[in-house]
Amino acid sequence: MAAKKAVLQPAAAAETPYVPTDDDFKLKNSGTIDIDENYASQSYWKDVIAHFFHKKSAVVGMILIILITVFAIVGPGMNSFSYSQQNLATKNFAPRIPGLEKLGIFDGHETMSTSTGSYVVNNYQDNEEYSNLYYWFGSDNFGRDIWTRTWSGTRVSLIIAVAAALIDMIIGMSYGLISGYFGGKVDMIMQRILEVCNGIPRLVIVTLLLLVLEPGMLTIIFALMLTEWVSMSRIARAEMLKLKEQEYVLASRTLGAGSFFIIFRQILPNIIGPIITQLMFSIPTAIFTEAFLSFVGLGIPVPQCSLGSLISDGFNSLTTHPYQIVPPIIIMALLMMSFNLVADGLREALDPKMKQA
Amino acid sequence: MKKYVLKRVLTAIVTLLVILLVLFILMQLMPGSPFNDEKLNDDQRAALYAKYGLDQPVFIQFLRYVANMLRGDFGVSYNISKNTPISQLIQTRLPISIMIGGMAVLLGAVVGLLLGLLAALKHDTWVDTICTILSVIGVSVPSYVFALGLSYYFGFKLKWFPMLFSQRQMFQSSVLPSISLSMFTMASIARFTRSEMLEVMDSEYMLLAESKGLSGSALVFRHALRNALIPIITVLAPLIVDLMTGSLVVEKIFSIPGVGSLLVNAIQSNDYNVVIALAFIYSAMYIVIMLVVDILYGIIDPRIRLAKKGD
Amino acid sequence: MKKSKAFMALLLAGAMAALTACGSSSSSTTSTSTASGSSTETGSDAGTTTADAAVSGEDMNIMLETPVESLDPQQATDGTSFEVIADYTDGLMQMDADGSPIPAIAESYEVSDDGLTYTFHLREDATWSNGTPVTASDFVFGWQRAVDPDVASEYAYMLSDIGQVKNAAEIIAGEKDKSELGVTAVDDHTLQVELNVPVSYFLSLMYFPTFYPVNEDFYNSCADTFGTSPETTLSDGAFILDDYQPAATSFHLTKNPDYYDADTVQLAGLNYQVIQDSQQALMSYQSGDLDTTLVNGEQVDQVKDDPEFMTIGAGYLWYISPNMNASDPDVAAALSNKNIRMAMTMAIDRDAITNDVLRDGSLPTYTAVPPQFATGPDGSDFSEDQEKFSDYCKYDATAAADYWKKGLEEIGKDSLTLDMVVDADDAPQKVAAVLQEQLQTTLPGLTINLTVEPKKQRVQDMQDGNFELGLTRWGPDYADPMTYLGMWVTGNSNNYGGWSNSDYDAIIDECTTGDLATDAQGRWDKLYDAEELVMEDAVIFPLYTQANAEMLSSKVTGVEYHPVALNRVYKHAVKTE
Repeated sequence: MAAKKAVLQPAAAAETPYVPTDDDFKLKNSGTIDIDENYASQSYWKDVIAHFFHKKSAVVGMILIILITVFAIVGPGMNSFSYSQQNLATKNFAPRIPGLEKLGIFDGHETMSTSTGSYVVNNYQDNEEYSNLYYWFGSDNFGRDIWTRTWSGTRVSLIIAVAAALIDMIIGMSYGLISGYFGGKVDMIMQRILEVCNGIPRLVIVTLLLLVLEPGMLTIIFALMLTEWVSMSRIARAEMLKLKEQEYVLASRTLGAGSFFIIFRQILPNIIGPIITQLMFSIPTAIFTEAFLSFVGLGIPVPQCSLGSLISDGFNSLTTHPYQIVPPIIIMALLMMSFNLVADGLREALDPKMKQA
Repeated sequence: MKKYVLKRVLTAIVTLLVILLVLFILMQLMPGSPFNDEKLNDDQRAALYAKYGLDQPVFIQFLRYVANMLRGDFGVSYNISKNTPISQLIQTRLPISIMIGGMAVLLGAVVGLLLGLLAALKHDTWVDTICTILSVIGVSVPSYVFALGLSYYFGFKLKWFPMLFSQRQMFQSSVLPSISLSMFTMASIARFTRSEMLEVMDSEYMLLAESKGLSGSALVFRHALRNALIPIITVLAPLIVDLMTGSLVVEKIFSIPGVGSLLVNAIQSNDYNVVIALAFIYSAMYIVIMLVVDILYGIIDPRIRLAKKGD
Repeated sequence: MKKSKAFMALLLAGAMAALTACGSSSSSTTSTSTASGSSTETGSDAGTTTADAAVSGEDMNIMLETPVESLDPQQATDGTSFEVIADYTDGLMQMDADGSPIPAIAESYEVSDDGLTYTFHLREDATWSNGTPVTASDFVFGWQRAVDPDVASEYAYMLSDIGQVKNAAEIIAGEKDKSELGVTAVDDHTLQVELNVPVSYFLSLMYFPTFYPVNEDFYNSCADTFGTSPETTLSDGAFILDDYQPAATSFHLTKNPDYYDADTVQLAGLNYQVIQDSQQALMSYQSGDLDTTLVNGEQVDQVKDDPEFMTIGAGYLWYISPNMNASDPDVAAALSNKNIRMAMTMAIDRDAITNDVLRDGSLPTYTAVPPQFATGPDGSDFSEDQEKFSDYCKYDATAAADYWKKGLEEIGKDSLTLDMVVDADDAPQKVAAVLQEQLQTTLPGLTINLTVEPKKQRVQDMQDGNFELGLTRWGPDYADPMTYLGMWVTGNSNNYGGWSNSDYDAIIDECTTGDLATDAQGRWDKLYDAEELVMEDAVIFPLYTQANAEMLSSKVTGVEYHPVALNRVYKHAVKTE
């Protein structure tokens, strides 16, 4: 700065207008120049949506979520198998997809490595009966179609995760908002309760709950819900603390609005952004926790399946029939990634500070 | 500051007691008793209940438990290792879990930080994409799949490392479990570092520092990273406890005599005392670490330190 | 996917090595040196040069599925603990390769004519590993502990209900003092046992660890720590425990040089490794770290042609118990209907379960008493003939559907929903999934819901009568069909289904304490009548007799496998290079 002043002074003295040269300034991000544009004034949400769609990764995530959801709905019906139908005669068949099989991939062959040497088998060709049989993702050790099971598992996992996350949101949000709004003693007591809840190891409580309650989808949702609302309530409380001293709240209060009106009608709409972001982040956590529960045998009851139970089933055949674990893992990875990307995108779109980026 | 710390410590102690009570009640609700081998008759079961004081009301059991615990006595195991004092069981196992967990945290944090940094610095390039993909795989593939995969390639095929944990080759045999455990930490830290770094590097003071003529490594490490580290520590803290207490499943796969596998076995065989003791230790570690982080946070971040003074 | 995983693993392994390089002086060299094998193996390389002596220099490496629960012979209840305790402790009798009792610490024995008094003469050269001789009072102390309510041994019923030792039941119930137990040390080397009734299989109980001796002085010197470390265990058997921690994942025993029968022991020691993941176990076996391992059904394809692969009967009968007293009156009515039960048992394709799902050598079973454990007076297996009652339960889809239709008509329903409790373990869950599918497809209108719960909980639910169908198992406690047939007596606590038949009760009574108790052949024949009653009424739906698929290295011979009490005995095992 000092150097620039020194340049400017002689220029003013010499009366000839100084023409800045390129050497005088260097833009921080050489190459891309941020130029202010005039936007027509638009509503906050339109703005957010525009920003969200501007971010490529978020859009990709969104498309993937939609695609996977669509497959979770229609996938199980795309062939003649049902998710529970067993055919022990055709167990452990490798993937075979019409069309692709001509290329030598997905034609149903697999290499079995045994202690007495490895060999290639193609179960479909070994028996005339199966020449028209196609397990697109292969079949599992009960002869169930992995394609159908993967998608119906995706469906179950999505339902569990979304339901758990939504309930989390409602409970955590209300708790945090109330705690933050009233402050003082109420806040103190509510926060101590929260600390206790948070202090109990998550896995222990989920596991114990699942043992105490009847196994099933509702129980899993309940167990997941019990443990995940804490972080949601923290965010809600922090936002509340920020907003409650604002003028419009004060105005409202002076006008005689009730506490619950202010909390849920006036403040809530203003913090919905961070809440939705957190919701998006808690979905993959729920999917993952469910997967763990399946592995320790507390997942969804058979013959229903979830991505987690498919992975833990496939795990037992990882060294013999690795193709069995691949589809659920890929779907799970894609889902986790997509939800994270969307959440990231939302966070950036909602956060005015990050908008320029 | 002193008053604040004292207050936090007191709360922590109360929290722990409440947790203990909740655990007790949950255990009471648990179906099945620790002693029902299918061949036991009613007389015998009554004798067993009397022997371990399980016929007493929950509250009495609770008070007695707390009293014993203060003397360092966590009771004995009913099932997993009959009549062995739990303190003895945990004594040998906790260090192993902590060691492997510690290695995993270290590895996960360091590699995660590097990946995150790299991704942030090379924002929107192929490096960033690869780092993102790596971290997505890290958070979405369960650690047991990594565990078996690593064991298959590096243990069975390449024979670089032992497949199973052994006390004789403590270090080599901890490598594979640590790596499989660190994946999740690594991925979370990488993701978090990346976004924190992006935010920090975009902030006004970085612009200032840059315009002051600072560049390259000094800029990244002295200013950006330092500021990004604070929130990263908060994310790391709960991850540390998770890892320290051992990923339950990874311990099972590598036959590690740690507390994680003990907990799973205890839950499945209704070994009340072991479950309560482990859950309690886990909670205590969690609370202590969160406490330390909070206090540290106050020390590192002046804004919070000042705010807390008025508290 | 796979490639990227491998790539990342490589990357991390590299990073790991780089990170630790400063810590340990040469981490890369240490890691390559482990590639050549574990330290025990390098040791054995040296042994090969002296070909003849090789047999004495070897440790056998054994895989266990679960850790040891207790090394206290009177507290232990699981097969793993029994196996290890028996490695270093000898009882009065031991099992020969066929499972018959032969003398161990007892040199000889006499049975009184009424079959109520056993007198054992103990060998004088048997000593504990601390040098004190094994005496009759060690047995008295051990047996008294087994029934002592303060010890609260879970296997106390071995002395009372099964062994019928005098006063055992009263002591357990707290009515008498433990010193009144019907076992006395006549002198240091003579032990006398009194029974309530003659027990034909009494000698075969003597190798059951609950009946093992405990040295009183040593026990008192360890106080509460008995059996928790090498220092607090005492050996009078073939091996000595020299490295152990409670619930350890690996531990070691070494040959006992002072064992009275030390010359027959060929192994240098036993090296146990607990591996809960079956794929890891097989990989460890294949890389030579183990000499024997269990194989899971999923991996059978990998090893089924291997000469080292074998299947070993484990004794357990798995069956479904329908609850005729279920709390839901509709369900109770349905399961009390014989046609419904017949339909269900005949809708089960047992061959598919064992051949396609378990694949571990388990035998489809069509009798209420499983084969391979009880040998009759003529030396034949009680359930050798699986065809005997197979008409009552063999898979027959059309017959099953007929019974089903008839049954539904009788109870006035057109559909039925039943809940089945299943252990949260690998094999039962797989079997249940198949059963569910088989039953639902063969019997239209039947819905089976599976409730998967930890075994302890499942057992409690069944004991409380809180179930509809239960997938359960029963292992023989002694080598006699009565260990199974005794279960279905009216009011027996293990008669989960609540079936009651006075004819049946009469037969069992006659065979335990009545006229037939001393008439071996007559009793044997009568037991078939009892079994037929159970099968004909479909009281249980027998499924299969469990077997374990194992790998045993070709270097090892002489391991003895038994379905009862001690599953594996290594005393005569030999390992060569």
